[in-house]
Amino acid sequence: MAEDLQLQSHVGKSFPIKPKLKPKARTLLQTPESKYWSSFKPHQIPNLVSSIQSLDFSPNPPHLFAAAHSASLTLFSSKTFTQHSVINSFKDVVTCSSFRSDGSLLAASDVSGLVQVFDVKTRTPLRRLRSHARPVRFVKYPFLDKLHLMSGGDDGVVKYWDVAGESVLSNLLGHKDYVRCGDCSPVNAEMFVTGSYDHTVKLWDVRVENSRSVMEVNHGKPIEDVMFLPSGGLLATAGGNSVKIWDLIGGGKMVYSMENHNKTVTSICTGRVGKEGGDEAMQYRILSVALDGYMKVFDYGKMKVTHSMRFPAPLMSVAFSPDCMTRVVGSSNGIIFAGRKKKKENDEPVVRNFWSLGRVEEHRKPTLRPSYYRYFQRGQSEKPKEWDYVVARPKKVKLGEHDKLLKKFRHKEAFVSVLNGKNPENVVAVMEELVCRRKLLKCVSNLDNEELGLLLGFMQKYSTAPRYSGLLMGLMKKVLETRAEDIKSSDALKGHIRNLKRSVEEEIRIQQSLQEIQGIISPLLRIAGRGI
Amino acid sequence: MVNMIRGGRSYVSSPPAFSNDAKRLLVCTANTVSIFSTSTALQTSSLEGHTAPVTTVIVVPASSPASNILCYCWTASLDGTIRYWDFSVPELLKTINIKIPIYSMVIPYLLGNEKQPYLFAYVSLKVTREIDSKKHNSGQICKCNLTESRLVGGMTLAETKVPEPITISSSGKYLGITKHQRLSIWKVPDTETERITLKKITLHHTKRMTVHAFHPIQRIVAAGDSTGRILIWRGFGDKTFTSDEGLVSGKIPSNDEEKPGVRDNDDADSCTTWHWHSSEVNVLFFSSDGAYLYSGGKEGVLVVWQLDTGKKKFLPRIGSPLLCYTVSPDTSLSSISCADNQIHLLKMPSLEILKSISGIKFSCSLPEEYESFGSGVAFDHSSALVALRTDNYCVQFYSLFDDLGISEVQVCERNHQPGDDVTVVVTLVALSQDGSIMSTVEVKLAEEGIGGLICLKFWASESQNKKFTLSTIIYEPHRDARISAVAFHPTRRVAVSSSYGGDFKVWVCNDELEQKDVMLQSSGWTCHAVGSYKKKAITAAAFSADGSILAVAAETVITLWDPDKNVLLAVIGETLTPIVTLSFVGKSEFLVAASWGSKPQLSVWTMSKLSVSWSYMLHVEAIACAADLSSFVALALLPELSKCQESIGTNFQGKDGVILLFNATDPVPVATWSARKAKGGALAFLQVNPSSIEDNISDGKLPQALLAYMNGDHEYVLFDPYCEEIHELNVIPQKDLVVPEERRQFGYASIYGELPEFELKRNQTLWVPSVPSEKPWETIFSGSSHNLPPLTKLCSAFLESLLEKRTAAVE
Repeated sequence: MAEDLQLQSHVGKSFPIKPKLKPKARTLLQTPESKYWSSFKPHQIPNLVSSIQSLDFSPNPPHLFAAAHSASLTLFSSKTFTQHSVINSFKDVVTCSSFRSDGSLLAASDVSGLVQVFDVKTRTPLRRLRSHARPVRFVKYPFLDKLHLMSGGDDGVVKYWDVAGESVLSNLLGHKDYVRCGDCSPVNAEMFVTGSYDHTVKLWDVRVENSRSVMEVNHGKPIEDVMFLPSGGLLATAGGNSVKIWDLIGGGKMVYSMENHNKTVTSICTGRVGKEGGDEAMQYRILSVALDGYMKVFDYGKMKVTHSMRFPAPLMSVAFSPDCMTRVVGSSNGIIFAGRKKKKENDEPVVRNFWSLGRVEEHRKPTLRPSYYRYFQRGQSEKPKEWDYVVARPKKVKLGEHDKLLKKFRHKEAFVSVLNGKNPENVVAVMEELVCRRKLLKCVSNLDNEELGLLLGFMQKYSTAPRYSGLLMGLMKKVLETRAEDIKSSDALKGHIRNLKRSVEEEIRIQQSLQEIQGIISPLLRIAGRGI
Repeated sequence: MVNMIRGGRSYVSSPPAFSNDAKRLLVCTANTVSIFSTSTALQTSSLEGHTAPVTTVIVVPASSPASNILCYCWTASLDGTIRYWDFSVPELLKTINIKIPIYSMVIPYLLGNEKQPYLFAYVSLKVTREIDSKKHNSGQICKCNLTESRLVGGMTLAETKVPEPITISSSGKYLGITKHQRLSIWKVPDTETERITLKKITLHHTKRMTVHAFHPIQRIVAAGDSTGRILIWRGFGDKTFTSDEGLVSGKIPSNDEEKPGVRDNDDADSCTTWHWHSSEVNVLFFSSDGAYLYSGGKEGVLVVWQLDTGKKKFLPRIGSPLLCYTVSPDTSLSSISCADNQIHLLKMPSLEILKSISGIKFSCSLPEEYESFGSGVAFDHSSALVALRTDNYCVQFYSLFDDLGISEVQVCERNHQPGDDVTVVVTLVALSQDGSIMSTVEVKLAEEGIGGLICLKFWASESQNKKFTLSTIIYEPHRDARISAVAFHPTRRVAVSSSYGGDFKVWVCNDELEQKDVMLQSSGWTCHAVGSYKKKAITAAAFSADGSILAVAAETVITLWDPDKNVLLAVIGETLTPIVTLSFVGKSEFLVAASWGSKPQLSVWTMSKLSVSWSYMLHVEAIACAADLSSFVALALLPELSKCQESIGTNFQGKDGVILLFNATDPVPVATWSARKAKGGALAFLQVNPSSIEDNISDGKLPQALLAYMNGDHEYVLFDPYCEEIHELNVIPQKDLVVPEERRQFGYASIYGELPEFELKRNQTLWVPSVPSEKPWETIFSGSSHNLPPLTKLCSAFLESLLEKRTAAVE
């Protein structure tokens, strides 16, 4: 049956005029992953004072996030990006904040050297940890540990705190410069790393007595950020314009160095792609932001940058919500570039009454009777099931006005009608069809002055576009040859010609400068080719 | 021994005829009459016996509905015989040899009038006379006594310069021929004897008339002329024909003033003119009730005129000039034959195309500058298909074994207007070795230097059904230079296109490049490399059998390249004129090149010595190489010197080409065959698929390969070139495609499917016997209402039939 259809399909079929196809990029514009990353609906939180030093998500739903900027710490809702609350009890610039693993407490450090612990709900400072002599640059709750805190600062000392007693349990010495960052192991409450401006990252274990680092890796640049990758065996460090990945279990070997940023990478965090329970399992990515305004997504499985996004300001901090719905990027001029995924309806947890399962029958719709109006409309909007054989309605060929006129062989009317339209592709397609019918020049000679003005206006606009120039330049010459008399007699047409001349001259200038550039480049290429 | 398989014949050389039950269509196909089923549009059998093209087929009409099943027909042929067949069997019943080529035949009282002892036919003959020792051809309309199998002497109705087709009114009363600007009409007497003279009138017009038709009931004749006008004479022959009929027309012989439109005091009441067609009218036909007139011409539009009002209805975009129109006795079915070798079966009042009998499309009419482009024919070696470019920008796939059009691929989406100048041409068609990829090149010709475009397209088909989908379009692949050849890599998805602009490009399909990369999901063709040799026009390209070497002909020089690295490997010597075709001979070290021009040459080159091995001065139209063997065939055109033919001494009547089978090592041909219409011909070796040709094997031995030769008219022949006996070229009837004849469903059954069996049996006794009708819908429910089965019974069956219908549709 299908074969018959195909055999017959050529008889009585009419084709509308179609413009030439545009070349498609060889690579997809959007890989599935970049599609994922650009599916975060952008939202800006402007007007925060000075740069966003740090961003941290609460591990508990609804995943509030804390943004440290100037001398205050602001909590935002990750759903609506509205301000939830502000903690203002800081004397100096807030540098870092960290939620406890249950999300009820928040630790924050500031430049004055003070570390404070707040109740997230009441925003009252519960504990003040004062020991650092210089500004504290990082503070972090260890993994699943509610009682201790890590902090490090410009005095080069890393401290392990007992929060309840406001006392320092151990001072970890070893860094020779400012400690700027650190992270706690995601698998062990006693292990953590710190990164310092002395180019090294030190791995600490508080169980070790002599307060010496367990391991040390050298990044080669002052370290801006460091983090454990979720497995706990790998470490990522950011310093200079590179992000390096280190294998801790393998003795601190460098696995890969990602150098896609042009300026200093300021912050990194882990992100996740893929759907939960989908075909593609969740995969971890490193999100890095830098002063060049780019956020890059790095797949450390394939060692490849899979997505990159540009923001209009130097970026200072980045965070990704644990439910994978929100990512926030803080800039140096006080803007948070947030992004939130749209939630699909079926993602909503379905609250199902356990007892209702057995009583489904009762909820059935009442049977429709002919006395109902709906009775007569039943089934009209029915969607075909997967196994149904769909008898497709033959597709209607959409014919534009010019198509209809061309079908009637009213060539000039078709030409004018498409010139009146907005689409230059269609105009060129109609011109090509007229060429095939050997009618284009006849049409041109039949145009009256007003229509000729229309054509000249079109020509002026598009004859330098590379897609159309092949046809339009030749046609332009013919138009000028055949309609010279009419153009001379009309001022409006003369104006068109002047405009056309101007755009042609402009194009010639562009071409010349391009040729100059080509002249510069080609010897270089020649030399490069010889080198190989 | 494998029999020769012939096919690709024209279906539209003469008008076809429907059988009485309208289930079969008899089509004149060269020397045979092929019988097609109208429900499936497939060939069921053929009538064979004529030795020259059959020109007329007339089915003996049924006198009563009961005799509908009678299947007798008369055929007339250029071999000078008239034959009488029973085409249900099929069996030849009678042969009448009148020894003069018959161009057209009509039989007025075919039903058999009891009063008449003899059956007469009127034939249009081509008579050859010798005047001044020159052969002089002319046409003659004669009478022939079919009962006594002889021509009636001295009964020449008319003489014409060329044999003209005779038409007859459906009642059989009037005969007509057009002679240039005149239309002659004879009245056939009611009782015919041999010597009775026929009354004749002549109607005049100022233009050459091309076709005419008689009204089935009234005395009206319509004629079409070369300018597209349709003239309708009403009441023709009032004076001449009615006088002896005994009927008093009641009209007073009218004066000239009262005959509007009638010229030269012709014998007609009035003449009206309709003008819609822009060029000559080829088809004119009255509907069986006489209310409508069908006309068609070069535009490919069937126009339906309401005879009384002149209102028009159209069946547009048939896509090809119409040649003839035939109605079936059923009146709900008719056929139109188109110039592109298609017969479309139309459902009548709605003018809906039900089926198409798809013959091989004829070669395109090309503008002169493109005639050097070869035949535009590509063979699919594995599935024995041929891809042909057609006039309406399609590529037709034609099965050589089944002699059947399989599918068409619209290469360029543009409305084809048959009458227009050719401005868009599909110049090249190439198929990959496995037939899964096709490449086409189309050229849009520029209008005074603007708007020209060359387009290279790659198509891919997933399965064997040859439904190609467009994969990649490349606009202006070699800037504005024309493409001379496209060749595919034998194993990989790699192709090369060469252009007269002096470069060739290697194209690679993306899935070939990076199969694992997920990023590239769309498969498309991209340019892999560009090469050129001394800026010379590249005229031909070919891959070697293993695909490791690409041979490219730069005008007269053959260059060898590594297709992957795009490195020039070697240059082999020169020919005298530019090379047109290049081909590697199987897996051997030989390369065949053919060049045209003033000094045509067929040369064989060895790759080991990089030199010419041997060559002939021959104009070679096509070359084909067997895949595994070291032999090749060449189709050479014979020089146009008659002396040469005489000196050869063989009988080359009408044959202008020779097919030469060579072993590449040996310049002496292994075998030769002479061929007709070799200009524009094509050759190919086809892989032998045992299942497809086993019926044609008599001794069970499979041939190594079959050679297909297709001539300029796209008639083709398949044979085993290595078989000794083939030289006698005996044509053994091809195995017919036996198609189970479907019973056509009418009325109720056609809508809802058939009722289940048990229902029918139970109710048969209840039904009042009724007159058998064509439409069961009427008979099923005829009878008094109390005799009808209860509604509850019908309902379940009805629903069941619906269900069954649905499952059938799913399959």
